[in-house]
Amino acid sequence: MPRALTRRAIFLGAALAAMLASPLVIAAAEAKPAEYKPEDIEFFEKHIRPLLVQKCYGCHSEESGAREGGLWLDRRSAVRQGGDSGPAVVPGDVDGSLLIKAVRYRDNNLLMPPDGKLDAQSIRLLEEWVRRGAPDPRDGETAARETRIDLNKAREHWAFKPLARQPLPAMEDGVAGRIDPFIRAKLRERGLTPSPEADRRTLIRRLTFDLTGLPPTPEDVEEFVNDPSDDAYERLVDRLLHSPHYGERWGRMWLDLARYTDAVPSWLNSTAHAHLYRDWVVKALNDDMPYDEFVRRQLATDLMEHTGLEDLPALGFLGLSPTYWKELLLPPDIIKVIVADEWEEHVDALTRTFLGLTVACARCHDHKFEPITVEDYYALAGVFASVKMEDRPMIPEEQYEPVRKAKEQIAKLEKDIATLRKQKPVPTDKIKEIEAEIARIKETTPHFNTPLANVVTENSLYVVQAGDTPQAGTRLEYRPGPQNLHIHIRGNPNNLGPEVPRRFLTVLSQGEPQPFVNGSGRLELANAIFSETAAPLAARVIVNRVWLGHFGHGLVDTPSNFGFSGSRPSHPELLEDLTARFVENGWSLKWLHREIVLSATYRQSSAHHDENHRIDPDNRLLWRMNRRRLEVEAWRDAMLAATGRLDSTIGGPATPLDNVDHRRRTLYGLINRRELTQMLQMHDFPDANQHSEQRIGTTTPLQGLFVLNSPQITTLAEALAQRVQQEFPGNLEQQVTRAYQLLFSRTPDELERSLARSFLNGNPAAWPQYAQVLLGCNEFIYID
Amino acid sequence: MNDIISRRAMLQRMGGGLGAIAWANMLARESLGATKSTHFPARAKRVIHLFMNGGPFQADLFDPKPALQKYAGQRPEGADLRTERPTGGLLPSPFKFSPRGESGVPVSDLLPRLGEHIDDICVIRSMHADNPNHGPALMQMNNGTILPTRPSMGAWFLYGLGTENENLPGYIVLCPGRPVRFSVLWNSAFLPSAYQGTYINHSNLDPTKMLPNLRNPKLDRETQQRQLDLMVELNQRHMAERGNDPALEARTKAMETAFGMQFAGLDAFDLSREPEYIREEYGKSHFSNGCLLARRLVERGVRFVQVYYGNGQPWDTHSKHDQQTRKLCEDIDRPIAALMSDLKRRGLLEDTLIIWGGEFGRTPTSENGDGRDHNHHGFTMWMAGGGVRGGMTYGETDEFGFRAVENKVHVHDLHATILHLLGLDHKKLTYHYAGRDFRLTDVHGRVIHEIVA
Repeated sequence: MPRALTRRAIFLGAALAAMLASPLVIAAAEAKPAEYKPEDIEFFEKHIRPLLVQKCYGCHSEESGAREGGLWLDRRSAVRQGGDSGPAVVPGDVDGSLLIKAVRYRDNNLLMPPDGKLDAQSIRLLEEWVRRGAPDPRDGETAARETRIDLNKAREHWAFKPLARQPLPAMEDGVAGRIDPFIRAKLRERGLTPSPEADRRTLIRRLTFDLTGLPPTPEDVEEFVNDPSDDAYERLVDRLLHSPHYGERWGRMWLDLARYTDAVPSWLNSTAHAHLYRDWVVKALNDDMPYDEFVRRQLATDLMEHTGLEDLPALGFLGLSPTYWKELLLPPDIIKVIVADEWEEHVDALTRTFLGLTVACARCHDHKFEPITVEDYYALAGVFASVKMEDRPMIPEEQYEPVRKAKEQIAKLEKDIATLRKQKPVPTDKIKEIEAEIARIKETTPHFNTPLANVVTENSLYVVQAGDTPQAGTRLEYRPGPQNLHIHIRGNPNNLGPEVPRRFLTVLSQGEPQPFVNGSGRLELANAIFSETAAPLAARVIVNRVWLGHFGHGLVDTPSNFGFSGSRPSHPELLEDLTARFVENGWSLKWLHREIVLSATYRQSSAHHDENHRIDPDNRLLWRMNRRRLEVEAWRDAMLAATGRLDSTIGGPATPLDNVDHRRRTLYGLINRRELTQMLQMHDFPDANQHSEQRIGTTTPLQGLFVLNSPQITTLAEALAQRVQQEFPGNLEQQVTRAYQLLFSRTPDELERSLARSFLNGNPAAWPQYAQVLLGCNEFIYID
Repeated sequence: MNDIISRRAMLQRMGGGLGAIAWANMLARESLGATKSTHFPARAKRVIHLFMNGGPFQADLFDPKPALQKYAGQRPEGADLRTERPTGGLLPSPFKFSPRGESGVPVSDLLPRLGEHIDDICVIRSMHADNPNHGPALMQMNNGTILPTRPSMGAWFLYGLGTENENLPGYIVLCPGRPVRFSVLWNSAFLPSAYQGTYINHSNLDPTKMLPNLRNPKLDRETQQRQLDLMVELNQRHMAERGNDPALEARTKAMETAFGMQFAGLDAFDLSREPEYIREEYGKSHFSNGCLLARRLVERGVRFVQVYYGNGQPWDTHSKHDQQTRKLCEDIDRPIAALMSDLKRRGLLEDTLIIWGGEFGRTPTSENGDGRDHNHHGFTMWMAGGGVRGGMTYGETDEFGFRAVENKVHVHDLHATILHLLGLDHKKLTYHYAGRDFRLTDVHGRVIHEIVA
């Protein structure tokens, strides 16, 4: 550890502190003057000052407003104090001064000035200056390189505080539960009127899409609308929460966060079983696995005592992480940067997903806005530096060992075939023999096709030189056991600072965080996320995500940033109370869904209201339900369902979506993070290269072209036309009614019927064109 | 929630700098596509990037190095930089240079027609990048970083400037095939997906094949018009019942735009509508077609067109370098010269920025006798039009053309300069995401004011 981290204070880099007039910053330091010989002063004024002004001040002076690398060169104290890499000048020590090293232009990581080497004379003068003891008459205070942050204060940040139920605001009669009173109180405060409950047709449509991502069938709608009992809605909620499609709908939300991909790097043996992770997520949600357990298993199920081999796919969150190409012909200093970039991505996904913190910002320097130090970053990155992405069978090793051997044997035989094919003439018979042998091995080896889960194992990555010189390229070595990382100064892995033990974030720890001692520390990390000091944050983050999923807006509208730089909750007491009760209820996500969708707030109509709209146009305070556009998955699934083409089988390998015969839910469309399917790409599907906190919806003409002309839509339009025409041959009225019920959960009015009649104009062959219009309509894609 | 991005959500993400501008823009139009105002007056309104994928050798074309002849076969100090693969001694370029134009800037005799335009061209000889692999270098040139998690420069352009023609995508990538990295090179990453590039393989010149779903294979215009009319009517009824909701209106509008795009797009991508003498002037190779399409597109207000020279990485001459280079140059000389003349005739060159170059250059040392390896230490790019000073060179490489030494221009500096020409301050064009403000130039970038006219 470079600097002692006390319980009360951690250090923040100063370049940052200067920018951040934060109440967290406490103190500053300064430097002292000295006396010099007149001829030394003259030397400085004549040669050095002009050089510094001309070549360096642009990026390293207060006047320029730039302090690159944390370094100023416009005053003595700053030169001696130096920047992020240490003192710029050590008086008298020419070779030991970073300034000299930089201008000599020999170290590729330290070349100054950046736009070209100084002339030889200037370099000699600078060397001479340092040799003379770097005489420098320039006075001036330097803002401290290190200032301190008050951890106790940081821990008072709303999102870090312990959870507690909140007192309910006083309410008129009829406002029940523990969500609506908080919402109503705010509305009242701002002079807003809550909207009435939506009608049943709207409710069942909203709820079914929300909980399962599918439309209600016309039969479901009629049954619910005509159900006279008081608890019809509650029963509907329970039925939908028990639907196996619930996990598909909400699993996809999780996969956005987890940057799920079906295509895994070619260097893994398994290229076909990524979906095991996706299916694990769906099942865990359907089983209502407590959220803390859900997370623990994704980080460390292999280290947990009560989980077995069948649970290994949970590790896909880590095992399917993005990796970047490493050209091993290149020298290690380049490859180290690429490896460090991967660690950054992993830390980013981990901390934003589970904690709503942007820890990756601290890779190069202490976080500018958050109480996260560069040490915190490397403490977590060390966990990722201590694991290897691999695939693993879900059966005991002794059962798999013969398979491993068989695969090796087959690989060898396939090589033999390749060799034989080069012979002339090609010995066809011989090849056939070997092929038969391969087939025999595959058939006779038990468990040969057993699926392999994408997991991580406890091996540390070392990037080493492949030969005697860097020219010889790089070798990646995995060695059993964990490793600590050294700080990469300014994020550069070729410029190392002190070693940092693997451990949890300081601000979320009780006192000083304890180093991880159990292997890479994954299980300790998982447990730390749910420790007394961090669990409240983890819980707030997931509760907000579920809220966001139901309302289209989080209570906190930076769902993966709950830090100082994130937004404040619109309803702080509600978030506190709901989260506290979520934890009391065993971290049950289904409990949370039920609580939310049973609220009057959720059940409001989405109708416009002039007066309310004037006061709160964005509906931040929820005076109505938000009207929402279906995401691409639900939109496509709804079309498949309405046209009767949906294959609702759950789980299994993914297949390409651009095939018009793909009839499964969009969740099962192939996701390749290197090349996203065009349809997904144009419909706001998130980039699977990184954690995605929230979809950003856009409306574009390319989407319009998709509706007008794509084979996917025209195929569905034809299917819908065919379906209603078959169900009600020759009866146009009933065909149109049926289409409206299937698509919009309602019957058409007289004008809509007459529009249909005049469009079809007695020509049943035009039905697909009419069906296409209905599929493209706003009413189909917007949910009230 | 609106699916056109709500004003508030967007403003939250805009950094301080763009904030004021963005605010005005947002108030003016809710659409993502609307033209936006800039930080300062723009010199260039649109950009054409001619991407020599694979990486051309600087000393063949714009950066003559006689010392290569003198030290042929040797590896003197300064010529021993490491690149991707081991290389041998210095390999002289057999191609001659002549001073061209009034400026007398030397241009290789391999590019006689392009040489005629040298007085409009600024040759940057001192480019350098960080990584000698194609993938990372392509990413850096396009996205400013080797990470697949950052938006491409085209996405940044659209974010900063909007588009001038709502009937066409604002950012179009042309390639007769595919470059070795794919959609990540034009992605929008955390920016709204409407800002991503639209990739078009123009090896088939049928315009209906270029934009996805541009035409309906079965329905005629009249039928589609009837469909659209019905959809608009149903949407209007739906909207009327729901009062004020701009999102509903935006989607209806997008449908109408898409309908128009079927014909505007057809027109923009249809080279058969060009007179034969123009086709002749550009030539008929894939790259010629790419250049001509680029002109048709920028003419119609497309903000950024990238033309990748060819499928894979044709400029990656690890063997038979001279032979291949001769052919490649023959193939680019006519169309680029034609593009410049054409833009000039139409008065478009002054506010259209042309960028030429690869993801890096090549080594002055030989690979396997007659090839050249990748070289990110020093290479040439050039820019023309759009506020760039013509008839000049900027920066120098060492005496072998291996490493940039004087007035070095990093890729970040190039990006900063391009943004500057577009009227955008690269330090202020920020997007708040994942806890911090992101920029195309990250924490780097220096505007090369010396090359701005």
